[in-house]
Amino acid sequence: MNRKGITRLVAEREITERLQGRLIRIMTVVTALVVAAGILVPSLIKSSSAPTRIGLVGSSAQALAPTLERTAAAAKTKVTVTKIPDDEAARADVLAGKLDVALIVGPSSARVEVKKSVNPTIRAVLQSSVDSVHVRQALAQAGLPVSKVPSALAPVAVTTVALKPPPPDQTARSVAAIAAALLMYVSLALYGTAVATGVAQEKTSRTAEVLLGAIRPSELLSGKVIGIGLTGLGQLTIAAAAGLIANALVHSTKIPGSVWVLIPTFLICFLAGFTLYAFAYAATGALVARQEEVQFVTMPIGLLLLVSYLLVYAVIGSPDATWVKVVSFFPPLTASLMPARIALGHVAPWELPLAALIMALSIWGMIRLASRVYANALIYSGARLSWKAAMQLSEAREPAPIRPYPS
Amino acid sequence: MKTGELQISDLHHRFGELVALDGVTFAVGGGEIVGLVGRNGAGKTTTMRSVMGIVHPDRGAVKWSGHDVGQADRLKFGYMPEERGLYPQMRLAEQIAYFARLHGFDAATAAGAARTWLDRLGLGGRTADKLVALSHGNQQRVQLAVALVHDPELLVLDEPFAGLDPEAVDSLSRVLFERAAAGTAVLFSSHQLELVERLCRRVVIVESGRVLADGTLAELRARFPAQLRVKVGAPPDWARRLEGAQIASVDDEGVLLTIDPGTDTQGILRAAQAAGPVEHFGFETAGLVDLYRHMVSA
Repeated sequence: MNRKGITRLVAEREITERLQGRLIRIMTVVTALVVAAGILVPSLIKSSSAPTRIGLVGSSAQALAPTLERTAAAAKTKVTVTKIPDDEAARADVLAGKLDVALIVGPSSARVEVKKSVNPTIRAVLQSSVDSVHVRQALAQAGLPVSKVPSALAPVAVTTVALKPPPPDQTARSVAAIAAALLMYVSLALYGTAVATGVAQEKTSRTAEVLLGAIRPSELLSGKVIGIGLTGLGQLTIAAAAGLIANALVHSTKIPGSVWVLIPTFLICFLAGFTLYAFAYAATGALVARQEEVQFVTMPIGLLLLVSYLLVYAVIGSPDATWVKVVSFFPPLTASLMPARIALGHVAPWELPLAALIMALSIWGMIRLASRVYANALIYSGARLSWKAAMQLSEAREPAPIRPYPS
Repeated sequence: MKTGELQISDLHHRFGELVALDGVTFAVGGGEIVGLVGRNGAGKTTTMRSVMGIVHPDRGAVKWSGHDVGQADRLKFGYMPEERGLYPQMRLAEQIAYFARLHGFDAATAAGAARTWLDRLGLGGRTADKLVALSHGNQQRVQLAVALVHDPELLVLDEPFAGLDPEAVDSLSRVLFERAAAGTAVLFSSHQLELVERLCRRVVIVESGRVLADGTLAELRARFPAQLRVKVGAPPDWARRLEGAQIASVDDEGVLLTIDPGTDTQGILRAAQAAGPVEHFGFETAGLVDLYRHMVSA
């Protein structure tokens, strides 16, 4: 059998072992459900944003109806207007939840009655409607000819010019960036820890030594990383499919074009990030003397991953800041920050190949470093090692100085 | 059928300041069972790990049939490390078949070989059990099956008898004899010297990373001074002034004398008869235990 066949066998065993576990099936279903819920729930909440029901009490208030509807339309707020004969009936409707707001207009004042509180937009709409009718009446009483009143009150057009307009789907892009970063963080930490745990298991159960009698450390290591990586990719694909199905069910939610670009980008970044982190996790897992130490020794890597996730909020806050651009090229952060920057549409074309090159070089370096630490630490049976100590173990393998035999 | 020969020459290895191997040299021929004995830390495990490519010696060579051992050769080796280890959650048949496949068997052959070995070791009814569900002794059997499943040409077994009950010891001994008869070269280490004596044609004694002795039991005995047991119906004072013989021990069974080479033993017999009635007079056959003690303490 060729050597590739061995790495493949190791990877197959990893996948089989993982698929046999109950936890992974539960995790896959839960992740898929969470993603689907993340798409379904907001759209359900959105569709329940019903118009505000306003009751107009008495003839003065009822005369406001056309003005009120126009103002509400201008404020992009949906309202329905009902005419109510008297205060008592209006109050009863508000308390019973049939009305959201009751408006009572007197000769010199107006009152808004609500159950608990009123939405500020609605309040502004009501205020402005009452004011304009009041002004109209005042002008009429002051003797201004009725024909002049509408033109005096005609609104002056105010145009807003955005100097740096955000893309039309800004919110969707930010949400996509955060979702991608969160998914990246969770999956890298999850599968990375799985690699570290698997390595530690092989070391502490001494299976590693039996394996290393037949195959090379590099074959064992890469087979494990590939096996767990593919399992993770499979889980992510199922989650992505659940998201797409959920989206198809809720036709109202539009997926912006940038998000479609994000899916392949995310998967590529996941593969690169996973490779980088998985080898670090594997070497770290080989350092332990007992299985329980895995959590402790992998903590720094977990923290780095957490930082890379939290930095995404900084990217969203100031996507054009120089420091944001610079840190997104720092390999441990690239997998989280680049998809976010792409989602936000702030990546220049030359940046991607550069990031890919830096990432590829660091993956190469990490594989070399981690393989050495891994191979040395795996058969060391003493107390927990540090990376440095594991490196020095191999220095002890350098040829010893030739000495004369003691007689 | 005679398979290849393992040649270990001049292995040197240090772990930091600790000298683990200091010129270990010996060979294991096809069909031969060689016992590697020595105290803890003498270098047995490091030697075996060097053969398996787990430790890379600083200096020296490990050769198989005349060429340096490579990864392809190791696929024909079977290994049982001192600290046993297999996947606890993996089912027996799958586990043994997996190791067979790592050694180059295709899936079907590997599955067949796994079944055969489980049957042979009395675990035929437990193929679907996870390793962790087995008793310690049965886990040892699975470990042995993993070392043997791919019909290795060389078996390297580090303390294979440790922790086995007498029945399992017999069963493992039978397997080793059988493999050797089929041409497999067998190298194993043990602290159970009487076992080594029973199983091995040849013994290698290592001490402080060096080979102290290497040979058949007869060859080793030839390097050991002869011992004569004499029981006389008299106090042992008669033996104190003998030429070319020293008292090694005195007990109810008489006097044990260490005889210098070339000593006239008939003279000793006459001295004994002069002291009183001789009830017993004969050479003691040194066991491996005596040879080992003598060599390690020398």
